[in-house]
Amino acid sequence: MSTRPFTTVLLGNPNTGKSTLFSALVGMPTRVGNYPGVTVEEKIGRYTHREIPIDLIDLPGTYSLSPKSPDETVTVNVLFGRVPRIPSPDCVVIVADATNLERNLYLASYVLELGLPTVIALTLCDAAEKKGISIDADELSRRLGCAVVPVVATTRQGIATLRDMITDAPRFPRRNKINIEQHLAAVDSIHEPAVREAIARYAWIENILDGVVSEHPSTTRSFDEQIDAALTHRLWGTLFFILTMLFVFTSIFWVATPLMELMAFGVDTIGVWLGSILPHGAVRSLVIDGVIAGVGSVVVFLPQIAMLFFFIAMLEGCGYLSRAAFLMDRLLVGVGLSGKSFIPLLSSFACAIPGIMAARTIENRRDRLLTILVAPLMSCSARLPVYLLLTGAFVPNVPVGVLWLRLPAIVLLSMYAVGVIVAATVAFVLSRTVFVGIPQPFVMELPRWRWPQAAVVLQRSYEASVSFLQNAGTLIVAVSIVVWALSNYPFDEQAIEAEISHHRIALKTQLESLRAAGQETSQTAMELTELLAAMETPEGIRAAQKGALQRQSFLGRTGRLIEPLVQPLGWDWRIGCAAIASFPAREVVLGTLGVIYNVGDVDLSKKPGENALVRRLRAATWDGTNRKVFTLPVALSIMVFFALCAQCASTLVIIGRETGSWIWPVITFTYMTTLAWLGAFATYQIGTWFMGA
Amino acid sequence: MHELSLLKKGSAGRVVRIHGTDSISMRLLEMGLTPGVSVKMIGAALLGDPLEIELRGYHLSVRKSEASRVEVAGS
Repeated sequence: MSTRPFTTVLLGNPNTGKSTLFSALVGMPTRVGNYPGVTVEEKIGRYTHREIPIDLIDLPGTYSLSPKSPDETVTVNVLFGRVPRIPSPDCVVIVADATNLERNLYLASYVLELGLPTVIALTLCDAAEKKGISIDADELSRRLGCAVVPVVATTRQGIATLRDMITDAPRFPRRNKINIEQHLAAVDSIHEPAVREAIARYAWIENILDGVVSEHPSTTRSFDEQIDAALTHRLWGTLFFILTMLFVFTSIFWVATPLMELMAFGVDTIGVWLGSILPHGAVRSLVIDGVIAGVGSVVVFLPQIAMLFFFIAMLEGCGYLSRAAFLMDRLLVGVGLSGKSFIPLLSSFACAIPGIMAARTIENRRDRLLTILVAPLMSCSARLPVYLLLTGAFVPNVPVGVLWLRLPAIVLLSMYAVGVIVAATVAFVLSRTVFVGIPQPFVMELPRWRWPQAAVVLQRSYEASVSFLQNAGTLIVAVSIVVWALSNYPFDEQAIEAEISHHRIALKTQLESLRAAGQETSQTAMELTELLAAMETPEGIRAAQKGALQRQSFLGRTGRLIEPLVQPLGWDWRIGCAAIASFPAREVVLGTLGVIYNVGDVDLSKKPGENALVRRLRAATWDGTNRKVFTLPVALSIMVFFALCAQCASTLVIIGRETGSWIWPVITFTYMTTLAWLGAFATYQIGTWFMGA
Repeated sequence: MHELSLLKKGSAGRVVRIHGTDSISMRLLEMGLTPGVSVKMIGAALLGDPLEIELRGYHLSVRKSEASRVEVAGS
């Protein structure tokens, strides 16, 4: 008995229903990952037929086998058995779309020349029938010298026959050798050899299909064709496109947000439970503030990723993804990208991680890299809490111009605009300088409208989620633990107590000076009194201790060290500290500000005006003075910094995985932090000048 | 004989030849734009670019700059 399973390979053009066929044959894949060294997806499933275990390898969709792209190279390597762990195929299944057989046979011509046992699965026969196309499968089989099985993957018609043909294929010797040569001779010799070969292949195809395919287009359009016509209509099609994108975009916000809160709640609950059973000390802190916080920051992305990939899979399943790229291409070419960058960039408004993963659909390496590099500039949903808090606390709620527009809303929108404008500029500049390259084709098939398959859509969403967890999970948890260590050590109890009492004295002194000046009922005096009172309670003491610890930690010291760097931005060292601490995840900045300002845990559910952090921020003054830290220009500069910074370890990790090199995350972090600093600097300086003028 | 991009919406033509031998031209050929094949202009995106054509039973999107390599004889 043979120990290695029967290996079958599934290949074909994109949009032929290959994934649906794979699902129909196998169900769920048993192995999903990447081929070694490339970001080409490897998908293998297993099924049993006549008690023989069969491995089915789903290769990426390709139009030919000339090795121009990683997809094509991997396909050729698999067919020649050159990929480690994947044996030479015992059978090759070519998935061919019955509605445009001519183009599909182009790829088949290459495969058939290899002489491997081959079966052609003729898919989308139902769509072909609706178009009035009829194909003589038996005659085609005779002419090509291999089995041709019509299938309708969605209804599983023909699947049983296909399974039989696959298992039997090695037993039938290849009958006809594909004879391109005779057609080659007929081609005009003024063409280059490669060109002549392509022309000859199509001549061969036309010859083969002559008499095999007959078309009787019906006079009435099917429902599917009507939908297709509506979607491609210049006006209605574009309108539908805008509405669809808006729908996807807002759904992510409105649906994913409560789900994320649910996940966060779940993680917090676990944290609380662990907190109740672990004794106070380093271990407890490590587990809760380090590990749980780290895992939490990864897991909390899951609803967004699952949802985004669900939508992308839906759009891809009905053939609309290409249509979106088509409509947006001109606009994106203007900034040095291409239409295929649209969905990844749009997705990045919710979260850059699935957006960057979605860039796999961009075959052009340069376009893909450029898209990945600017995707993090799209203001993701993690920035929103920062925007909302700072806008709510420091932007005056005044009407602007037209009646219903208010300044906070304008500021919020501006933050999003800043990201987009900077991204467009960066893409434009990079595409003219560093990334100038040979122009790549944007020749792209626009598939007909079809109904997405639930199994395929759900499977894609699931695979993307698992892939994210695997890739991001381990490294991000590690980074979180490192940041925890940096913000909790060195731990010197005496130094902490000393700092707390020093702080208490400083506050009392300030209060005394206010009383002496007859201002004991002023706002500042009230806040100081409140602060002093809070420091007497157990929670207040713990918060003060935590705050002091963080200020004395490596993180805190680094914050003090870089204070000269952040002062031009209008920040004091605490804000700088919070910015550094937010490296694992942006939202951490609010929590860190809370700790550093001795608030304890920031309760973000209360309205910005009410919650303790806002009050504390409003009261914050520069060390040793009465000058407020948080002015409007400072708040704006913080927001601009967070709009442009790369404070998201998860994103950087994903960039590393998707590009296959650690240089790109480094470059991304460097350029974004630089732009963030410059943007914050400009905002603060111009803002202060403006306010002063 | 003229460029593909000059075909009016709804009208058809036959490809005469594809100019060039770089990756773009090869891609056009691989997708079926070979001499002799009949193509139909379906339309363009809102800003006039890219173009959508029908050939060999399917729809293809081509940028105007790429379509300039395709010489067609209108019918």
